[in-house]
Amino acid sequence: MCGGMAARGPGGPRCWQNRRARLLCMLALTFLFFVVEVAVSRVTSSLAMLSDSFHMLSDVMALVVALVAVRFAQRTRATKKNTFGWVRAEVMGALVNAVFLTALCFTILLEAIERFTEPHEIQQPLVVIAVGVAGLIINLLGLCLFNHHGVGGHGHAHGHGHSHGARQQHPRAGPKPEPPPGDGEAALHREETSTLVENCSSSNGVSQEKLGDMKDDMADLQVNGNAGHYPLDEEEVEEDSSAQLNMRGVFLHVFGDALGSVIVVVNALLFYGLWNPCPEDGPCFNPCINNHCMENATLSQTLGRANKSEQEGITVAGPCWLLYLDPVLCLIMVCILLYTTYPLLRESALILLQTVPKQIDVHSLNSKLRTLEGVEAIHELHIWQLAGSRIIGTAHIKCPDPSTYMMVAKRIKEIFHDEGIHATTIQPEFASVGSESGRGKCELPCRTQCALKQCCGTGEDSTAKKTEKSSSLSISCSEVVIEFPKTRRTKSESIPSVKLEANTDQNEQFESSL
Amino acid sequence: MLPLSIKDDEYKPPRLNLLRKVSGWFRSILADKTSRNLFSFLCLNLSFAFVELLYGIWSNSLGLISDSFHMFFDCTALLAGLAASVISKWRSNDAFSYGYVRAEVLAGFVNGLFLIFTAFFIFSEGVERALEPPDVHHERLLPVSILGFIVNLIGIFVFQHGGHGHSHGAGHEHSHSLFNGGLGHGHSHGGHGHSHEQKHAHGHSHGHGHGHSHGQDYCHDDHSLEAVAGSSKQILQGVFLHIVADTLGSIGVIISAILMQNYGLMIADPICSMLIALLIGVSIVPLLKESIGILMQRTPPSLENALPQCYQRVQQLQGVYSLHDPHFWTLCTDVYIGTLKLLVAPDADGRWILSQTHNIFTQAGVRQLYIQIDVAAM
Repeated sequence: MCGGMAARGPGGPRCWQNRRARLLCMLALTFLFFVVEVAVSRVTSSLAMLSDSFHMLSDVMALVVALVAVRFAQRTRATKKNTFGWVRAEVMGALVNAVFLTALCFTILLEAIERFTEPHEIQQPLVVIAVGVAGLIINLLGLCLFNHHGVGGHGHAHGHGHSHGARQQHPRAGPKPEPPPGDGEAALHREETSTLVENCSSSNGVSQEKLGDMKDDMADLQVNGNAGHYPLDEEEVEEDSSAQLNMRGVFLHVFGDALGSVIVVVNALLFYGLWNPCPEDGPCFNPCINNHCMENATLSQTLGRANKSEQEGITVAGPCWLLYLDPVLCLIMVCILLYTTYPLLRESALILLQTVPKQIDVHSLNSKLRTLEGVEAIHELHIWQLAGSRIIGTAHIKCPDPSTYMMVAKRIKEIFHDEGIHATTIQPEFASVGSESGRGKCELPCRTQCALKQCCGTGEDSTAKKTEKSSSLSISCSEVVIEFPKTRRTKSESIPSVKLEANTDQNEQFESSL
Repeated sequence: MLPLSIKDDEYKPPRLNLLRKVSGWFRSILADKTSRNLFSFLCLNLSFAFVELLYGIWSNSLGLISDSFHMFFDCTALLAGLAASVISKWRSNDAFSYGYVRAEVLAGFVNGLFLIFTAFFIFSEGVERALEPPDVHHERLLPVSILGFIVNLIGIFVFQHGGHGHSHGAGHEHSHSLFNGGLGHGHSHGGHGHSHEQKHAHGHSHGHGHGHSHGQDYCHDDHSLEAVAGSSKQILQGVFLHIVADTLGSIGVIISAILMQNYGLMIADPICSMLIALLIGVSIVPLLKESIGILMQRTPPSLENALPQCYQRVQQLQGVYSLHDPHFWTLCTDVYIGTLKLLVAPDADGRWILSQTHNIFTQAGVRQLYIQIDVAAM
């Protein structure tokens, strides 16, 4: 179980099980420690320990969130409600953890400020040291467990576009523990298919036989059941890219906790060593703590003034700066935590905001697409990241006629594949018969089908297109409907005998008879 | 001729003209009613928190100081909502091809998370206090908490119609990001019945279809639409829930203070805190569920019933063999995007099929649709 952390060995499921096993291990340990801390705090009636135990509880919650995310993200099959599967769960888990960490930092900040205004002594520093050391050990263990998922594990995450050939032979099946369902468990993003996740034979009219046919370039795709083996490096890349955000969140949480334990131990040690406590009996003057009760202050003042001769009998509580050490260290810890959490927060937020992934240059993609012959214009190009290395792209491609489109479609898909975008949906648009001016115009503009405001248009559209669009906006919906059937009839008359070649990114089955 | 993107204003190297940026933000905040409300309430809250802090320091009451810190913490939620309403108006650019509209969903989600955290924190504090009751200075707590309660009531009234999703409304001009959702409805009203839940009024003028220069400007001129903040719904809901949580907190403090003063029930304080924490947690759940659904690219719940019928209608079109791989998801409130693939006969008229399919789905409310046509070989 826990020992398996070294065995990031061959084959995905063991790697994946490692992840889950590690999380479970850490979860069990942390929860146990939380219980221990609560018990100790009751025994020693130390409030500080109780609040620290709640920090541990928040740690437990973070681990639970990560575990739930991992569990959900396994379900990559499409369901009726979640057509993309639950793959994004890990990004969400990372975001939740990052937000919790930030909130925790704020809480600690508030507590530290409170301590500044009202410093507390540590009661029974020995017990605190003991518990603190135990907590530190557990956190260090956690750090080791999650170490290689830690900060900066990014590098090899997005290697696509290159090993095309190798990829073709190794469709990645779903996670092993689940028995492959009878309906086509299609390969996932890695394949050059348009299907992003496995489709279940749901009521939306997906036909299973056709499903296999819709895959492009994957002549040897095994549609049913798990395909064979998959190469190690791909599996690792897969794990790293989609799961690493989640694990980074967990790592940062454990790291924060470890820092907290370090602070507790250091503080308690210094306190134990240097603090001169008030003895239980005998008068004591504590200059550091402002008592809210006015009596003590007056008492101490009168004592100080009146009984100078008995001063040696009055112990003065130890160096005051010790009491301020705790909040200062906490402030430093908060700064460190915020600094390390921010990249994670930013990254998961960017994915959720549907950004174009960093490694894809939209301009060059656009220019490559436009230079294809047969492509008149590209509209509404959107590329976004589902999770990890699964990137989805959509576009409208304007072509003069359907036959050109068929020829060009395969190359368009190839261009997308080279960039690493494997799930694409390309809508062809054909110029209206006989309209020369509409060369650049989007025939079926997404948002502007009936009049409207294109507030947040895509970056690729030029202003010229915009104004063109706006002039076309006066077309009402009913007009659009009527117009096309006429052209339809003319179209079918004009191309009676052309056998259109299939979108031959797919199977041999569809190869045209031409 | 490679048309380069013109709208890359966001990508100019950052000029150190901070003042212009900040004033730009202020302008955009003050332009929209929702964000104006948010901003003014944020100022109110901040000032009250400062007053409480100063009073607490002056009277040396730890309870007041910690309560003021709680209010600061809540101000961050308002700040997040405000930031989201500003950000979601930014133009789209190379990196954000859909624009920044998802920011509001994210803001609602993050607010929800913060609230859960706050509830957890209050609960834990309640437990701590139950086990070791500190002495609370009630005399000072009562008037201040009553003041806080009043401030929160103001907030509730201000954000009330915005918070719940059936935001109609007069003057709720909404921030742009209604790409298609609200506006198009006004048009196609003649032909189709939108049976699915409409969160916005239909009464908008479609006068301004034409001649808009791009992006940003028209968003800010006024939208004399009575169209409603469907898009800021998430932000407002998050903020509203936060204010409700605050109000509940104030009520709890008032009740427990009264109980402690008159009946000496020291246990009232922690019990009230725990109850409030539970209430807050429960009220957050719908917002979280919705945000999570949107962020997970779930099929929009409002479309779930309409979609299978649409699929059937599409498959009945002449020339269409089958429909594959449909994906529909919500970009932001009421903006739905879909992709699907059609297998068609070789002699089918692609253009007609495309336009018909677009119409079918437009009636269902999906404006942005990408239909891939795959032609079957004979």
